[in-house]
Amino acid sequence: MGLRIKKEEELKIVGMHCSTCASTVSKAIKGVQGVEDVNVNLASGEAKIVVQDKRKLKDIINAVRKAGYDVITQKFNIIVEVSEEEILKVKEITEGIDGVISVRAGRDNLLVEVNPMTTSPETVIEELKKRGYKVKVSNLKQSRKSDFKDLLTRLVISSIFTSLVLLFPSPVLQLIFSLPVQFYSGLRFHKGMIRAFRNKTTNMDVLVSLSSNIAWFYSLFSFNNPFFSASSLLITFILLGKTLEAYLKERASEHIVSLLNVKARKVTEKGEIEVNASDLKPGDIVTVKSGEVIPADGVVDDGEGYVDESIYTGEAVPTRKKKGDPVVGGSVLNSGFLRVYVTRTGERTYLFQVVEAVREAEAIRLPIQQLVDKISEVFVPTIIAVSITAFLTWFYILHFPLSFSVLIAVAVLASACPCGFGLATPMAIIVGLRKLLKKGIVVRHGEALEKLKEVEAFVFDKTGTITKGVIKVSRYEGEVELASSLEKLSNHPVARAIATLGKERHDVREFTEFKGEGVYGKVDGKDVIVGKREFVMKNCEGDGKDADVLVCVNGRISGYIWLEDEIKEEAVKVVSFLKEQGYEVIVATGDSSNFADRVGETLGVKVHKGLSPDDKVELIRSLSKRVAFVGDGVNDAMALKEAYVGIALSTGTEIAKYAGDIIIPSLEVIPSLLKQSKRTVRKIKENIAWALAYNSVLVPIASGMLYPFYLPPEYAALAMSMNSVSIVLWSFVQ
Amino acid sequence: MSQTCPVCGMEVEETSPFKTMYKGTMYYFCSNGCKKAFEKDPEKYLREGPKGMP
Repeated sequence: MGLRIKKEEELKIVGMHCSTCASTVSKAIKGVQGVEDVNVNLASGEAKIVVQDKRKLKDIINAVRKAGYDVITQKFNIIVEVSEEEILKVKEITEGIDGVISVRAGRDNLLVEVNPMTTSPETVIEELKKRGYKVKVSNLKQSRKSDFKDLLTRLVISSIFTSLVLLFPSPVLQLIFSLPVQFYSGLRFHKGMIRAFRNKTTNMDVLVSLSSNIAWFYSLFSFNNPFFSASSLLITFILLGKTLEAYLKERASEHIVSLLNVKARKVTEKGEIEVNASDLKPGDIVTVKSGEVIPADGVVDDGEGYVDESIYTGEAVPTRKKKGDPVVGGSVLNSGFLRVYVTRTGERTYLFQVVEAVREAEAIRLPIQQLVDKISEVFVPTIIAVSITAFLTWFYILHFPLSFSVLIAVAVLASACPCGFGLATPMAIIVGLRKLLKKGIVVRHGEALEKLKEVEAFVFDKTGTITKGVIKVSRYEGEVELASSLEKLSNHPVARAIATLGKERHDVREFTEFKGEGVYGKVDGKDVIVGKREFVMKNCEGDGKDADVLVCVNGRISGYIWLEDEIKEEAVKVVSFLKEQGYEVIVATGDSSNFADRVGETLGVKVHKGLSPDDKVELIRSLSKRVAFVGDGVNDAMALKEAYVGIALSTGTEIAKYAGDIIIPSLEVIPSLLKQSKRTVRKIKENIAWALAYNSVLVPIASGMLYPFYLPPEYAALAMSMNSVSIVLWSFVQ
Repeated sequence: MSQTCPVCGMEVEETSPFKTMYKGTMYYFCSNGCKKAFEKDPEKYLREGPKGMP
């Protein structure tokens, strides 16, 4: 019987403000399988849990969140220097580290969520380093070491010495010239193999290292008929493919991180000095000349010009910027001259947030990935088995010479490439995400692309999404003066419109806001309630007429306000597009006025009005369909989360504050979002099919099934390295 | 100051995000569920007192 280690974990719970909360949380945690004991402390907000298996942590946190509370966790992104097919093994190892809640794997990075009560990013990194992985936390200052440059150096060296090996027939010279190829250029593969074996896994390095080493060491034994040229060419060709692949990969992720290398002209007392964009601080003043990139987020302090903001609006036409206008780092000043007051730098800039969001999105897991993972797991061992079988068959059964049989075995090893499977998804996603970014669309959760395909209904928020969100008072009657003073304290769009009606300032006390209903306060000593008809009618006496907003003073309805809000042009277009495509379209709004019905009539869709944020969540649930919710990312956060796909319409540059899987700059881009997501998902599947087909053709040929036609190991290696190159190239065509 | 949730009878702080106004009086709830229940039939809870968690 195995020894079962019991784990104690401590969690910091947020949102418990009564004793029922503590028991609700406790019940929720106990409900998770494997939890043996829970002790929730209301005062400290801490929960002590004894659990059999520490991997249950994620379930526990989900249970707490489902019960309506939250757990404080810490998320960070780490970059791991491994090949694509190995990242899953690293993920598995990371998941086993104490205090790690969840891990999402990207192409070369892991998004790790930990319990800060138990562990820290440093501990996680330390653990991984112990296992032989090169790891670092991703942040602005440590820009990534270029894999391309390392590969290029190795490639140049191996090309030179391989040429020498080919030029001189003398075995002694060949041995000498092949040394740097085998043991310098090929070193990264040998190291990779050792690391893989240490962690009881296999990867592409195993195949490359085994095949080249077998060829090289076999040559030492049959010195009169050596394969030094084969082993050297094999490494050179694989490096060629890998270098090409790295170049293309770096190009694919290039323009998005460009702010890292941007220089800025900072205005100081001693005049202008040139600094790196990453060294700027909020409050600095920088100058930007025409043709230059704006180095940070800020506000125009002086000057005027036309700025190409396509990086975040997707809009190609430059916008005119003058004093007081906001500008976004990474956008380009087409003409003019600007002095910019810097407001956000480094990790807080829009561009950095986008980079982080995209990194997270790259960690997409499509259902098809499960199949790919299974293949990857058995791939290398299978190939080794095939190689041995081929050797035995040719040597013992068909009685071919030893050297030919060894060549076949080496060719099999060199011909198979598991890296195609590792590359298939991330490459397609990276290219797809970049394409969307050019239209100003930020995809936060890669899965949303796949899910979009399955969406059956679109639910739109009204105010600010379908309509311009500039709510105006169309007319009013009765008392509005006190109401206006009260509404000044609220941020709600309706409140802002009403706030403009009053002329004088009144004394407001005990201001209270009821989300989605209205506000209350004592204005000049009188009890004033302003809010939705239904809300005010519940509290006050009098006739509500057909007004949208009622004002109640000291218990009597005494003011009436009617509202209006213009429908966006693109909303009409997009809604009719979606209806044509066969989607059900619904408008959900907190507005309970007659105006909401008029919007529905204009668009020809069903309207659910008078909904609180919670009601919107209920509506999405009750539709029992796969719903995409499109709404303002701030006020509709809950609905965006509940929906199958949440699409947030952004109005600003601080994407971190928006909920939702996908952030769009305007409704107009929805048709292209749908199209691109289909294309990207299709591309992933094509890539996987390609990798499968490539291997299943190449491996039999390499094993000599078409004899007398067969592949010498170096050509098998060349063909294999072109597999990943072709997948990368194919991914570009979207 | 502490208040009593009119639906389940628990003690609630006035900082609770779950609150409403009915007939000019403020009511605080310990959860959204309680608030919903109250809004469905406020008179019942005011007449008959707390019923426990819905």
